[in-house]
Amino acid sequence: MRKFLVFTLALALAFALVLPAAAKDLKEQLVRESTIEQAARRGVLRVGMSTFVPWAMQDKNGEFIGFEIDVARRLAEDMGVKVEFVPTKWSGIIPALITGKFDVIIGGMGIQPQRNLKVNFTQPYYYTGMSLVANKEKAVEFKELDDFDRPDVVVVARLGTTAAASVKKAMPQAQIREFDDEGQCLQELLAGRAHAWVTSAPTPAFAALDHPDNLFLPFPGTFTREPIGFAVRKSDVDTLNFFNSWITVVEAEGWLEETRHYWFETKDWESRLK
Amino acid sequence: MNRGPLRFGWLDAVILAAVATGAAWVAVAAAGRVDYEWQWSRIPRYLVRTAPDGSLVLGVLGDGLWTTLRLSLWAGVLATFFGGVMGLVRALSRGMPKAAARIYVEGVRNMPPLVLIFLFYYFVSDQLLPSTAVEDFVLARSPAFQGIVSTLFDSPARLSAFLAAVLTLALYEGAYITEIVRAGVQSIERGQWEAGQALGLTRWQQLRRVIGPQALARTLPPLAGQFISTIKDSAIVSVISIRELTFQGQELMAATFLTFEVWITVLVLYFLVCMPLSAAARKLETAMAPWQG
Repeated sequence: MRKFLVFTLALALAFALVLPAAAKDLKEQLVRESTIEQAARRGVLRVGMSTFVPWAMQDKNGEFIGFEIDVARRLAEDMGVKVEFVPTKWSGIIPALITGKFDVIIGGMGIQPQRNLKVNFTQPYYYTGMSLVANKEKAVEFKELDDFDRPDVVVVARLGTTAAASVKKAMPQAQIREFDDEGQCLQELLAGRAHAWVTSAPTPAFAALDHPDNLFLPFPGTFTREPIGFAVRKSDVDTLNFFNSWITVVEAEGWLEETRHYWFETKDWESRLK
Repeated sequence: MNRGPLRFGWLDAVILAAVATGAAWVAVAAAGRVDYEWQWSRIPRYLVRTAPDGSLVLGVLGDGLWTTLRLSLWAGVLATFFGGVMGLVRALSRGMPKAAARIYVEGVRNMPPLVLIFLFYYFVSDQLLPSTAVEDFVLARSPAFQGIVSTLFDSPARLSAFLAAVLTLALYEGAYITEIVRAGVQSIERGQWEAGQALGLTRWQQLRRVIGPQALARTLPPLAGQFISTIKDSAIVSVISIRELTFQGQELMAATFLTFEVWITVLVLYFLVCMPLSAAARKLETAMAPWQG
């Protein structure tokens, strides 16, 4: 009986000493595998984005410029690493993040519950809204959003975006045609095969300015308001905390507001494109 | 049967007139209906441009073309090797190897290449070629080595995706090349094999010295066609964000909205790459005609 008690005590003591060590291993593992730790070790933060004027695009020298690009560059600078942009097709951007093709999505991704089940979002660093530009010939009498909610109306939007989701919600009776690129959507609209194109402001306004003979804005402003955040992989608490804190800091500085104003409320950057 | 010298008759004139009129009508109708402002002047800088320091560098599309060329070259070489081996296995082996080759061909031929690329890239490539491992391996080597790798393949950061694309394209095209090689070898009549045997050659020597040259001469036209197909099929890997010509073209269109100019330029570039290969294949075919048997 004594031997049994001594044996049990020894076992309990061994466990008591080993468990904290095991917990320490788990903590070290979490740190080791966190995205920011890996990025810091490699010296490079890989950012996934998709081309969307003026969020992210290439200037005439092939360099990346845009709102998201500025945010990503500032983030990498504050982290002390270089930044590498991985332009990815929007329809495959979340699988690419999950399978580790890059570290974070900084590409104007709208925070949506269905997406949130697959990836984690930071707090919002911008709020966007959807607006609509219409074909002058086809949508000549239309004056408000409800005018487009008819079965014979064709609306185009980019595949897999919140724009497409907002069309299905706001204009359930209209037919929606989705394309991989905004350029294709614009072409459909110009060719008269669609009544309207829905996408994030300010693109519809820019399109109406560029093609005043074919396109017009039936109603001003946006009809949705969506938060935009960075997307990171699940179960990565350190990275999520770092990005959230960073967003808080640059918002408090006023830098985010300045950057937003430059890219979305002026067209001063256009000369860098052409 | 001698049909006499080739003459341009009245039927030819009618056909020519009909085709010319049809083409002209389509062109005019298309141009008239599309209300588009052509801005061709903006395109050349995307092919080749002057960097801030004055040197000439490849532009967005030029870069894409260079990647397409490298992608097609490596995929083509790998596919030829793979397809050649598999084709010989299918033609000349029995039992397990032959069944395995058949499974490979039937499996790959009956899948859409786009789906194949997705599955391979997202699920398989990370197990075979983990992207960080590949990148770290290259970055740990000398700058000279990195330079060579970047020129022959792609930059270290994009190397893993590039290799995944090359592998998938090679697997896909290899299946078709397998069938071409098999058909070529099987088309040589038994008499040739028997003649070789009668001369005292081993099976391997028969293949190498008698059957091989004849089979090669016969399969060269379809093989050349398959190589050209590889170049065009490489456009598919744009969906996994390889910065080849089609992807760069789409990115450019998204940024500048120069839809038609960019698409037409991309079309012309693909044509300019494939056309010389077509011509070279034809020359090779004439040169190898005596061996076709």
